[in-house]
Amino acid sequence: MTAVLIVALLTGAILFGIGIYGALSQTNLVMIMMGVELMLAGAMVNLVAFWRFLHPEAYSGQMFVLVVMTVMALEMAVGFGVAIARFRAKGSVEMEEAEDLKG
Amino acid sequence: MYAQAFFVAVFGLAAIGFGVVVFRTSSMVRSALALLFSQTAVGCMFLAMQTEFLGVLQIMMMATEMSIMAIFMVMFMMDPGGLGGMDMSHQKRFSIGAGVSAAAVAIAVALLSDWGPVAEQVADAEAQTRALGMELLGRSMMIFETAGITILTAMIAATAVAIPVQNLASKDDKEASE
Repeated sequence: MTAVLIVALLTGAILFGIGIYGALSQTNLVMIMMGVELMLAGAMVNLVAFWRFLHPEAYSGQMFVLVVMTVMALEMAVGFGVAIARFRAKGSVEMEEAEDLKG
Repeated sequence: MYAQAFFVAVFGLAAIGFGVVVFRTSSMVRSALALLFSQTAVGCMFLAMQTEFLGVLQIMMMATEMSIMAIFMVMFMMDPGGLGGMDMSHQKRFSIGAGVSAAAVAIAVALLSDWGPVAEQVADAEAQTRALGMELLGRSMMIFETAGITILTAMIAATAVAIPVQNLASKDDKEASE
């Protein structure tokens, strides 16, 4: 059983690493959001594995996963709102051009 | 037990494989579809780990979320089909370094930690869903309610940000000229 837990944790770790690569390397806002989604997916895999194999009696573990899913949906909603505003103002969602707040 | 290990590993590999494809393909629609498949594989991992409610929820949520994302990709990207071969990435070395380091640290923690005794059995799907419902409307009610209010706030904020800004000065000028 520990092997299944380790496999799940390794999957979560690699998904998190791919997500960090995506969020840092992409120049487009929507692609950056995809990276963040992968990072959150990695975190969720870990949370579910911890709940299933270590504390199946504590349902606050599943509650935590629901909160992370909520964060994913919110990130999408607010991210696309910002993308629409940015596209209207500048005609592009390339983040290399977003230097408005640079000091 | 072996079947569970097999399915968790297979769906885990699928999630990782499609996750890599997200940033390897030039076509934005393919990218969104790869992310959809990756997230669906994560949902299937939840099912393989006997977390039925969360698995089904994950698959349903991601199917709609990624479909919307694919539409936005086509709307906003300069080269949605990837036919121009544009490179839309920067600081690649730093990003690869950061991603590999984060994954390596997490893998080291996973392998080197003593996780203690592992639970062999869990409650069936019906009992789990019932217990989760009791948790949501009992001890974790404040968190649940806060999540609901946060979703409402984010919906209003996203709509407010996306609405075009009216230039009141030019509107007044137009009315004056009429």
